Amino acid sequence: MNETLHTATALPADEARRLQVLIDLDLLDSAPDERFDRITRLAARLFDVPTALVSLVDAERQWFKSRVGMALEETPRSSSFCAHAIRQDDVMVVRDACQDERFAHNPLVRGDGGIRFYAGSPIEVGDGMRIGTLCIIDTVPREFGPEQRTLLRDLAGIVANEVAALELKAAAERDRRSAHLVHALLEHLPDGVLLFDQDGGIASCNPAAERMFGAPCRVLAGLPALALIGIQPKVVARLETDVRRPDGGSFAAELSIAEMTLDGRAYLVGTVRDVAWHRAEQERVRAANQRRHDYFRTASHELRTPMASILGFSELLLKREFDAATGRELIDIIHRQATRMIGLVNQMLDLARIDSGGSAQMRPAPLDLAQVLDQVKAGLEDAAQAGRIVLQPAPAMPSVLADPLRVQQALANIVANALAYSAPGSQVGIGIARAVRDGRSGVAVSIADRGVGMTAEQQRQLFDAFWRAGALPDVPGNGLGMTIVREIVAVHGGQLEVESAPGDGTRVTLWLACDGAPAEAGSRP
Amino acid sequence: MTRQILVVDDQPDLRLLIRMTLRALGEVGQAASADAALARLAESVPDLLILDVWLGEGISGLELCRQLKDAPATAGIKIMLLSACGQQSDVAAGMAAGADHYMVKPFSPEALMRAAAGLLDG
Repeated sequence: MNETLHTATALPADEARRLQVLIDLDLLDSAPDERFDRITRLAARLFDVPTALVSLVDAERQWFKSRVGMALEETPRSSSFCAHAIRQDDVMVVRDACQDERFAHNPLVRGDGGIRFYAGSPIEVGDGMRIGTLCIIDTVPREFGPEQRTLLRDLAGIVANEVAALELKAAAERDRRSAHLVHALLEHLPDGVLLFDQDGGIASCNPAAERMFGAPCRVLAGLPALALIGIQPKVVARLETDVRRPDGGSFAAELSIAEMTLDGRAYLVGTVRDVAWHRAEQERVRAANQRRHDYFRTASHELRTPMASILGFSELLLKREFDAATGRELIDIIHRQATRMIGLVNQMLDLARIDSGGSAQMRPAPLDLAQVLDQVKAGLEDAAQAGRIVLQPAPAMPSVLADPLRVQQALANIVANALAYSAPGSQVGIGIARAVRDGRSGVAVSIADRGVGMTAEQQRQLFDAFWRAGALPDVPGNGLGMTIVREIVAVHGGQLEVESAPGDGTRVTLWLACDGAPAEAGSRP
Repeated sequence: MTRQILVVDDQPDLRLLIRMTLRALGEVGQAASADAALARLAESVPDLLILDVWLGEGISGLELCRQLKDAPATAGIKIMLLSACGQQSDVAAGMAAGADHYMVKPFSPEALMRAAAGLLDG
């Protein structure tokens, strides 16, 4: 053991912990600090030596936190006197280094002006770890009596106190920051946080909870939790419940409560998450599924109905005898119903394409709606409808950015409805005008008939798939025309308006923007 | 005595098909809606009613079936629901409304004939 103590590489017991304590203090390589500098100045004057240091013994070096009469900031630990001093309980004194076998060959000792005298007192911090020394050095051999040792030990004690004070300050700063972080977290957490007291009351809460419950913390604190969260506080995980506000309102929430121990006392702490949006989303998905289900149910019904005529009459033709005229009449029905069916299949596919493809399927181009209306008129005016479609004169319109085929299809569907649901020979007027909607300039096409019109209830159903106004029994169609119109207008980011009253006819206005679908309509999946 | 059959369907072609099919069983009248059917029923009570479920305007075939089965004057009419709604739940709803038989469109005229004859003789 003695042998070990006399070698320069010997390390204090607990060296790893000692180094960790030193690193945690955050003093190595820090800026000069007057609280230490005044002690080294004092030591140099008191002991009348050229050099006084606060030396911190690191793994491979000693670094000087404070130095008087020393140009170097650090020196290697291998040549360090202080590395020896920290292994001792008391002040280490080397009267003449040249005469001490531990230091005689030390590079800091050899030659003129080298170290001759050294006295160092360990700086002890925390649980007895010696992080370095307060030491004094002279270039000539000196005596160092008991009184001087006491003085140096006391000064080292002051250094240790300063280190402890710094550490205390740092710890307080860490606590402050940590408390600040926790406070900020609670302040900005989107979930409401509730602290319950032992009697099942609200003890405290965060701002999110204040917002959710619509009352400040001082009002909520002291209220029985049962009245707000609907249950006596207990450990629960993601309980979906209706939470009540003090003002009588309520909202859908997900509640989680856990146990917490603070200063030896048990508490319950809970989070409240507003799930109204989540529920609305569930409802939206449910409604969409219901619509899809209804659509397929109705589609199936609408396809089976013409099929009943086709299969039924063909079976009669195969199994019974008919005169030529009746037989031909039945084949005519079969042909008509098969035509109706393929029309229905095509429109259903069309609707599915528009619906699933959205604007990705569209081929928008600058479009003159007046030209499109000419084509629609030409397409619908057969002998029976001649002269019924009246295009009102209008100045030249700006073009709109839209898919020409789809827009023509939409306008043709509206005009065909106007013709079908008004008296033979009556006129359908089509007007065209510039119109600004939601701050966007565009062109509006208005199609007005003097037909049967629709009740408010019928107008609500107008765009439902397969819905048909039943007032005129012999109007052909399958109830998909206006559904397709609505979808086409939607993918173009346009607008559709219907004004109608029973007996007064119907006016449908289709508006398209000059610059096409806005970004959000364009990104529709 | 000639059997009386009333066909209620909003599709003219289907009314014709059913009338042609059942002609051999008796006298077959027709109505295009529940209202028209009720007007005819006020005049004479048939032995058999062939009733569509979705009738466009007015009350549905299901509702009409229920009303007729609830009224003593018409409770004795045999009712066959004939509908393009063919799911199990549709059939169950029809039977719950008091129908004596439920047939799904499209149908075989021969099968319709057999079922109608069965109801008239039953």
